[in-house]
Amino acid sequence: MDDETREMLHETATSIFAEGPPDLWEVLQSVGIDKALVPESKGGVGVSWAIACELLGIAGKHAAPVPMAEAMIGHWLLDIAGVEGAKLPTIAFSPPLEPVRLSRSGNEWHVDGALVRVPWGSSCTHVAFMSEGPAAQLIVVARDSSGVSIKAGQNLAGEPRDDMTLESVAPLAVVPVPFESNSLLAISAVMRSALMAGAIERALELTVDYANMRVQFGRPIGKFQAVQQNIAVLATQAAAARAATEAGSEAIDDWILGVEESLMRSVAVASAKIRTGEAAGEAAAISHQVFGAIGFTEEHELHRFTKRLWSWRDEYGSEAVWADVLGESILCNESEKTLWRTLAPTRSSLDIGATR
Amino acid sequence: MSNLSFPRPRQSEVGERLRAEVREFLDDFDWRGDPQAASVFGGYDPEFSEALGARGWIGMGFPQRYGGGGYGLVERYVVMEELLAARAPITAHSVADRQSGQLLLRFGSESQREEILPHIAAGKSYFCIGMSEPDSGSDLASVRTRATKVDGGWLVNGAKIWTTNAHRSHYMILLCRTSPASQERHAGLSQFLVDMKTPGIVCRQIENIAGGQEFNEVHLQDAFLPDEALIGVEGDGWKQVTSELAFERSGPERFLSHLSVLEEFVRVLKSQPSAVGARALGRLVAHLTTLRRMSRSVATMIADGQDAALHAALVKDLGTCFEQEIPEILRLALQAEPDPNASDAYRAALAHVVLNAPSSTIRGGTKEVLRGIVAKGLGLR
Ligand SMILES: Cc1cc2nc3c(=O)[nH]c(=O)nc-3n(C[C@H](O)[C@H](O)[C@H](O)COP(=O)(O)OP(=O)(O)OC[C@H]3O[C@@H](n4cnc5c(N)ncnc54)[C@H](O)[C@@H]3O)c2cc1C
Repeated sequence: MDDETREMLHETATSIFAEGPPDLWEVLQSVGIDKALVPESKGGVGVSWAIACELLGIAGKHAAPVPMAEAMIGHWLLDIAGVEGAKLPTIAFSPPLEPVRLSRSGNEWHVDGALVRVPWGSSCTHVAFMSEGPAAQLIVVARDSSGVSIKAGQNLAGEPRDDMTLESVAPLAVVPVPFESNSLLAISAVMRSALMAGAIERALELTVDYANMRVQFGRPIGKFQAVQQNIAVLATQAAAARAATEAGSEAIDDWILGVEESLMRSVAVASAKIRTGEAAGEAAAISHQVFGAIGFTEEHELHRFTKRLWSWRDEYGSEAVWADVLGESILCNESEKTLWRTLAPTRSSLDIGATR
Repeated sequence: MSNLSFPRPRQSEVGERLRAEVREFLDDFDWRGDPQAASVFGGYDPEFSEALGARGWIGMGFPQRYGGGGYGLVERYVVMEELLAARAPITAHSVADRQSGQLLLRFGSESQREEILPHIAAGKSYFCIGMSEPDSGSDLASVRTRATKVDGGWLVNGAKIWTTNAHRSHYMILLCRTSPASQERHAGLSQFLVDMKTPGIVCRQIENIAGGQEFNEVHLQDAFLPDEALIGVEGDGWKQVTSELAFERSGPERFLSHLSVLEEFVRVLKSQPSAVGARALGRLVAHLTTLRRMSRSVATMIADGQDAALHAALVKDLGTCFEQEIPEILRLALQAEPDPNASDAYRAALAHVVLNAPSSTIRGGTKEVLRGIVAKGLGLR
């Protein structure tokens, strides 16, 4: 995909989100945002993961109440599974110690178990998830299959997070995939980071505007050095979140190209969720502080961003979860290589060509 | 606010090839000098500097006619990170390489460039930074050291302080007043290329809390500088020093100087597994990798000739706060008393980091000053 197409998609998305029509999601679907990751030959747009994450950043900037990350990954998975015609696929995970059970009688597959806090679980048409174990299988279930029951729930920001119970459900597809089952968790974590980076940027913009407008002691509060210093920290967090997210999304592209071996062992992927999650907490705290009481009201828009940040930082693994993953993966490296040489591997020119 | 976006850092194929070459060079180098210094912060070793110069790895980014090796600043960045990560003894030439040479390249006269730059590139000419004074720290524009015009040159009087390595540098880039302070605070300042052997210049070393002896107080009494010592334009000192500071603030030394203690931490954890330790390591690595990317994107901006002063200030603030946090996190993750004389490398490295931590958010502009710059960039000031 060339720069021009990319620019266009970017502009289209920016203007759609800025306008924020009542049927936002339908409009986004009509320009193919939900299928952005599906190859062009299969009716998608064929963007890289880096670009998909840029688009998610825009969605995050608008706290858009749409299942964009889920649908993007969902369509990508359904394409791999060979399931066509889905309107709204979402992704799901089973609880850590209770994987779904896949059984087979004759030619028929059956799946049992629980999928927890499924984004847009009630309103989706399909749900894609992975079985665990050495030979990971990608499973796709239709939302209206018999044996699927749903208990609605939501995150702090009111986004649907629904628990699904599967009782002897016949899946639409069960396909072996050539990657580790938790790669899906890694991808989801980076997509959440991208949304967070966008929401943090918006929190910064709102905060700067407010600091320039709100007058106390005869001057805009943004003229007080204590306030300036805090907002500078917020800006720094926003920049770090963006940088970490970009690196994480590029790592997914590298992985697709076969340059990066494992997403769970990717420093950039774990760093994206850790760094962005940490920035989210700090950004939310500083922006609320600058806004004073008005920012603590239901009526003010600030909470649309901060509640999402507080939820998203814990979804698909908190900073602690990913710090464990990253720390362990560095420590289990048997070689005598220094930390630095693990973090900055020498790359062949071939790899460099591949990563743009 | 869009001026705060960071471009994606550019990967250079030449740079990545260089990375491997530098590693090979470092692995083969016969390390001399103070092993303790080399293991912690990078020591002062002219022999090492000259060996690097011979490889073309100093003054990278200088045009070839001034001794540059035909590399750009993105490649220079790769070499710098590798040297810092290996704690190579680069102190002798580092200021010259990082900022003084770049300043002369931009603002110096043709004869200054022809005379000085090749020596910098050869690793033979060392510089110190004559900015701070006893009464002028953050408020740099208030410097009082004065150059008075005389026949054929200038007479300089005043005092500089905190001048790192002044006692073993060949030159100082001096910021001083060439006309009296006025309403326009930033006017009337100029920069000079000062030969440290000039009569009337006296250095006195000052010991820091970590036992280091790099600091100096530099007295200048009727020190005569010839006309040719003026750098750039008389009265343009503020503009010039601001561009010098962008070089001073942007480099990887702003977040890699405590890497040694992380390396030792990893070594300990490999033989003494700890869940708390692994989690602390994961978090620190996430910060480090992100900083590295941001710093590389500043290097990309500078290499492309963009104004990166604001971005450099932001990354320096983030990088130095991260460095300062390292010992605080490590000490709670692994019980070990810091001791500079410990035979255990981890405890010795920890001690050095604890003792040096306060300086990172002061030198090169305090974090408050840097945040002020960021706030201004955001339109708050
Ligand atoms: C290790 C080290 C090496 C150094 N090397 C050199 C060198 O080679 N050459 C050189 O010229 N200088 C050097 N310096 C000096 C350094 O540039 C100054 O220390 C720095 O600019 C701060 O000045 P100061 O120490 O006088 O502190 P001050 O400016 O007196 O500041 C003291 C405190 O007040 C705060 N403060 C001051 N003004 C404001 C304000 N307007 N708003 C909010 N807070 C404010 C500061 O942030 C700081 O916390 C070095 C310093 C260190 C620590």
